[in-house]
Amino acid sequence: MRVGIVGVGFMGTTHAAGWAAAGGDGLPKPELVGLVAETVEEAGPLATQTGARIYPRLADMLPEVDVVDVCTPTHLHHEMVLQAAAAGKQIICEKPLARTVTEARQMVQACRAAGVHLLVAHVVRFFPEYALAKAAVAEDQIGRLGVLRLHRGSYRPKKPVGNWFLDESKSGGILMDLMIHDYDYARWIAGDVQTVYARRVSTHHPQASIDYGLVILTHKNGALSHIAGAWAYPPPTFRTRFEIAGDAGLIEFDSDATAPIQNLILRDREGSAPDVALPASPVSESPYTTQIKEFYICLMEGRPCRITASDGLAAVQIAEAAIQSAASGQPVQLETLPEVLP
Amino acid sequence: MNPQLPAKTRIGILSFAHHHGEAYIHNLRSLPQVDLIGVADDDLARGQRIANLHGAVFFPSYEELLAARPDGVVICTENSRHRPLVELAAAAGVNILCEKPLATTLEDAQVMVEVCDRHGVLLMTAFPMRFSAPLKIVKASLDAGEFGQVYCFNATNQGELPTKHRKWFVDPELAGGGAFMDHTVHLVDIIRWFLDKEVTEVYAQANHIFHAAEVEVETGGLEMVTFQGGVFASIDCSWCRPPYWPTWGGLTFEMVTERGAVVVDAFRQNLVVYRQSWQRAAWSYWGSDSNQAMIEEFIQAIREQRPPLVTGVDGLRAVEATLAAYRSAHSGLPVTIR
Repeated sequence: MRVGIVGVGFMGTTHAAGWAAAGGDGLPKPELVGLVAETVEEAGPLATQTGARIYPRLADMLPEVDVVDVCTPTHLHHEMVLQAAAAGKQIICEKPLARTVTEARQMVQACRAAGVHLLVAHVVRFFPEYALAKAAVAEDQIGRLGVLRLHRGSYRPKKPVGNWFLDESKSGGILMDLMIHDYDYARWIAGDVQTVYARRVSTHHPQASIDYGLVILTHKNGALSHIAGAWAYPPPTFRTRFEIAGDAGLIEFDSDATAPIQNLILRDREGSAPDVALPASPVSESPYTTQIKEFYICLMEGRPCRITASDGLAAVQIAEAAIQSAASGQPVQLETLPEVLP
Repeated sequence: MNPQLPAKTRIGILSFAHHHGEAYIHNLRSLPQVDLIGVADDDLARGQRIANLHGAVFFPSYEELLAARPDGVVICTENSRHRPLVELAAAAGVNILCEKPLATTLEDAQVMVEVCDRHGVLLMTAFPMRFSAPLKIVKASLDAGEFGQVYCFNATNQGELPTKHRKWFVDPELAGGGAFMDHTVHLVDIIRWFLDKEVTEVYAQANHIFHAAEVEVETGGLEMVTFQGGVFASIDCSWCRPPYWPTWGGLTFEMVTERGAVVVDAFRQNLVVYRQSWQRAAWSYWGSDSNQAMIEEFIQAIREQRPPLVTGVDGLRAVEATLAAYRSAHSGLPVTIR
């Protein structure tokens, strides 16, 4: 299977490492044969490392690949996925699936019409702590779910140039780009969402240097989810927490509290004080790699995968409703989309 | 100290319907300037039992306790039964510390504030978190401008099902509701105090999933409360803590400001204790007792004849926001207060 990655930023590079580790156990190794990048310079290091060829446009790469792995900024997903689907390629797409529900629906329709997979890279489903909690809920360890609290906090995304994360029209801002992870997770464990109500700091304070979102989801089964997202903490903070309360038990997770390593180093080898270090929580396989491996097996053997195109679309629908609610101050009722399969 | 002040401030406790009443006996007795003149309870057996247990004088009726001319009383009836005792004590010219929530209807709360004003007696609402050592530090830093402008709060006041203390906590009539009524007022009051702003709007969603077979009232709830100036605060008031959790529940908030965030866990000061007889970890609280500081403030306000730091109006405003949460949960829409 020949793979081409569109976009060579942090996510494209991370997926490339996943593809390098995929295969084996009776499956042939996938080949990363192409990279689509705006400039040869930005793709140079990854091309050298992987041996993949650099293409200026997706159209030029399409004849050479079986799988297109879309790792571009969010607002470009729609165009890339439609092109790949029209060429009959299998597709992996970074989250959020699209910047709008309209675009996401077109993408799902196009992939179904073309008979190709559209696998959405909601990597949180592959993080061991989230996967384990999902399994515990699925095994009925804590009974019927009542209230979920999901929290994801960091600093404002930084990029040396072209910081599209901060461009609302491209990324959707905090309510979409950051918090979509937890909308998807909430829906994965507590089911479809009926009502979305959201508030966001930047709605009231457009000039604020931080941003923070609070979203209340009402699930169709009556469970409630509280989703908090922060771009408000000092770098290099990255903290995730969750609490899942059922009528027969409670699950808690806090990335700070469970980090097995804390570096309290006074001076590094050069004798200078290091930047503040993050507590580290290493696992033997990166969740991004676990994800690519599962996608690869799904594509090779047609086995079901833990995330579908429907899930990617449903998460975009929640995110768009959250943006709408934060702007209007009113709750948003979600309509049933025909593309979201049960 | 003002030499004209009486040596001892005479205090009585009216009812032990609320389990805090027993703790207040200890809080009052630890103050040298207080004379706990006695207790009364319309549940005579309960009142007599608790009086005996603590060696306190038992008055057979509220009227007889009030006739003994206390300077102040602490009212610990069920939530919906605060009003008649507040009216009785105010008419007797006695200062009042009333358990929270102040009332279960806006009309009751308003009447209670008015009647105390009319009789010139102090009405204090029992909001101990105003006296929490960690919260006072954060409030002082906020007032000193250390955090800059406040944008929002992400807050929780979660607990276990409170029936292990008293059955009436889940009685719709006596408690006035469930998790909303029990756990909204503290955080609304804390944020009003922090910001010096009133609530303008409340959005709320409730459910009935925890303990569904045991109680009728709502046991899960999420609220979004907006304050004057646009600061918004989510409050999780759920009774989601199982009885085998390490403690009763807690009160936490993240305050997000222009300079980042402050994360506060008011009841974090615990030992983790593992005992063979418990077969689970439990948290043993060693932080300062906010109830003690609250009782002291009530006594000092009486002795100095000044308004207490937290008043009946504060109790009224918190009730108003709680009732708005019920209306919002019912309609599914945000409710505007002012």
